Amino acid sequence: MHVCAGCSCLCDDIEVEIRDGSVSKVYNACRRGAGIFLNTGSSRAEPKIDGDNADFEKAVKGAQEIIQSSDSLVIYGLDTVTLEAQELAIKLAEKKEAYIDDNSTFCLGDFVEMILRKDIPSTTLEEVKNNAYVIFYWGTDPYHSLSRHLSRYTYYPRGGKRQRGYEEDRFLVVLDVRKTHTAKLAKKNARFLKVDSDEEVMRGFIDALEGRSPKVFQKDIPRILKEMEKGGFNVIFGGLGLKYGLKGDYSILKEMIRKMNERSEVYFIPAGCHPNMRGFNELLFEKTGYVNKYSFKDQTSSDEFAFHRLLEDGKVDAALIIGSDPLNSLPLQYARKLADINTVVVDPRETFTGKIAKVVLPSSIAGIEGGGTMIGADGTRIRLKPVFEREINDEYVLKRLLEVI
Amino acid sequence: MPLEFSRFLKKVSVEVVVGRWSFQVEAMDRGKFSDEFTEKSAVLYLNEEFGKSNGFREGDIVRLTSGNKSVNLKVLFSDIAPENGAFMPNSIYTSYLTDFSSFKRFRATIEPSNDRITKPEEIMQKVLSMD
Ligand code: SF4
Repeated sequence: MHVCAGCSCLCDDIEVEIRDGSVSKVYNACRRGAGIFLNTGSSRAEPKIDGDNADFEKAVKGAQEIIQSSDSLVIYGLDTVTLEAQELAIKLAEKKEAYIDDNSTFCLGDFVEMILRKDIPSTTLEEVKNNAYVIFYWGTDPYHSLSRHLSRYTYYPRGGKRQRGYEEDRFLVVLDVRKTHTAKLAKKNARFLKVDSDEEVMRGFIDALEGRSPKVFQKDIPRILKEMEKGGFNVIFGGLGLKYGLKGDYSILKEMIRKMNERSEVYFIPAGCHPNMRGFNELLFEKTGYVNKYSFKDQTSSDEFAFHRLLEDGKVDAALIIGSDPLNSLPLQYARKLADINTVVVDPRETFTGKIAKVVLPSSIAGIEGGGTMIGADGTRIRLKPVFEREINDEYVLKRLLEVI
Repeated sequence: MPLEFSRFLKKVSVEVVVGRWSFQVEAMDRGKFSDEFTEKSAVLYLNEEFGKSNGFREGDIVRLTSGNKSVNLKVLFSDIAPENGAFMPNSIYTSYLTDFSSFKRFRATIEPSNDRITKPEEIMQKVLSMD
């Protein structure tokens, strides 16, 4: 069986059939996961220098020169590559006294950091499957972003203490600004709360826990709290909607979780999509005490060292982008500045950022063409079992770049 | 000559919610320069009732403007769009229109357009020529 690295679920039950050297059938994966395996050969990146096709060795040389001559380098991306490749990227950043950052700065890095600092209690998906009763999805639509989350790990499966099926043994709570596909599942033994202000809803839970009537969802909040007490083991999956809804101030989230835990066990797990974002956060945290936006020159993390701020402030002369496409995922007013500096892109597929890069180096698709380790959003380590082996992968490219430093 | 209904539509101000859409992510893996990627990304999902009450039909091309940035998108009806707003999958289109302060929800206007759908390459060109 293989592991799909399509999202942070890191499903390890994927089976494939091979015909004429490529994947012809995929079993157990979701639509997205199956697509990754079946489209292994689609839109593959080619080595390029200044937009023109180049020999791989020449492109490596071009990238080496850029990195060698850079006085102020940023390494960015990394959440779709293995821990082994992330370690090499961190090593390269350290040796170059460079900046290093990943998607978690504008994704769910804050939540991971709170877990690693033990500000909020967390648990694993296996524990959720076996024990969780009330399951919150707050500001996230796993139906689309983590497609097998509900069926394999949380709501639908039977396991451990939860043997009677979701209609009796789980209580689903979906909080979102719109009625998502996940919210539509909230029927029997479930609630959908349409959120205008996350803070207001959290204040409502705190009020109810302190014996006051909540100002919003006067009927739903007391019922949910009652169910939580009944279940004893509950979990909140927080997504980007929650992060951006709280606008960077998580004190009320921490207070709500602390107060909930006075009544019954409540855990928090980030519901982020990138397969190995948590891996990067954990590696950098172990090494530096910070999860992202780190400067090895200044030996600290700061908002000033966030990738988009470095670009905005013109603080970097070169960028090494690994397994990410900032032109697709970051506000373009920042990402466009990559065209003004020496940008090197390492990616298995063609990207928008690759179109404006000085050098493009192709790599392999993690989990399909290369092995290694990743850490899921719940902190569980998973070993990838590739279908094929390709010599040129992220690790190989990073080792080549390290040769000249 | 038939009357063009869209000419009589006014500008509608909406909040656009940005999120993941598995069909669009699947298209991304097939290739960001593919027609399928544009077809799945350059879309503005409206609640059917809200869309119709404002004179929009499925398949209409509309100009979505946020601040001084505009793109042309195809209207599709979906029951997952906010009741009085719109939903867009996150992609180069939303990256062009948003900032971090409005990353997952932003205000915009919708108006009819007789133009064609904006291609990702055109967004890149616009962005690279910005001061
Ligand atoms: S849920 Fe995520 S990891 Fe599992 S098959 Fe789908 S994309 Fe792959």
